[in-house]
Amino acid sequence: TVRPKNEVQQKQLCAFGEYVAEILPKYIQQVQVTCFNELELLIHPDGIIPVLTFLRDHTNAQFKSLADLTAVDVPSRQYRFEIVYNLLSLRFNSRIRVKTYTDELTPVDSAVSVHKAANWYEREVWDMFGVFFANHPDLRRILTDYGFEGHPFRKDFPLSGYVEV
Amino acid sequence: MFVLSVQTTGLVGLAVVENPHERLRILYSKILGVLQNIPKDAAYRKYTEQIINERFDLVKKETDVQKLQDKLNSGHIEEVIVQAENELSLARKMMQWKPWEPLVEEPPSDQWRWPI
Repeated sequence: TVRPKNEVQQKQLCAFGEYVAEILPKYIQQVQVTCFNELELLIHPDGIIPVLTFLRDHTNAQFKSLADLTAVDVPSRQYRFEIVYNLLSLRFNSRIRVKTYTDELTPVDSAVSVHKAANWYEREVWDMFGVFFANHPDLRRILTDYGFEGHPFRKDFPLSGYVEV
Repeated sequence: MFVLSVQTTGLVGLAVVENPHERLRILYSKILGVLQNIPKDAAYRKYTEQIINERFDLVKKETDVQKLQDKLNSGHIEEVIVQAENELSLARKMMQWKPWEPLVEEPPSDQWRWPI
């Protein structure tokens, strides 16, 4: 069986995507809606805090809840890491995804000033990928062992690590 | 001790406001004042003015709190006040960030291609 297409929701998400792209042309590079009705905003890294604050505070877009903050490693690209923020609006019952890019050495603005929930998520991204977050209150390792060297979720990190157990 | 007709909002951390119309009037006029400072053709100014003017008209016309809550269709009146405060702080930050300018930097051509 195939999931039935929800045309109404698709149109609403497209309209909302165009609305946001019209308000923030300085940072939004692309807007896409997947076939499963998921709206994604592709952002320049300078625009993380403006876009997240806009999505949290604006009346038509009250995305008060940060559901997830992760990174994706695509080593063949110039900016290999893609930071992904998943937001949920409780008022309008809708979700949105915000994606940015960075390479290994460029720091990215921390989202903690906008969403307190980003604190441990950013620590995890730092620990696992090596993406540095500027203005983070407490950026240290969270999942790896105390003297661990390396960033495990990178694609060039071997499956069973460098140290023999 | 004040005895209000509505004792509690039912929401944790939100106290009942005894004069919501006055508070909303002040907040909406402040927001409109801040919006005057951003360029007239910016989409943010256009849409936000539209939303705020609609809500402001409803607040001016409707004196009963319960009916106002139903007309605004946005949860408790205290939540509407919190939302207006958020919109005010957002408008002030937008004045500094100026998001209506054209794109800061184009991404590399293969950045958003999927599948790779």
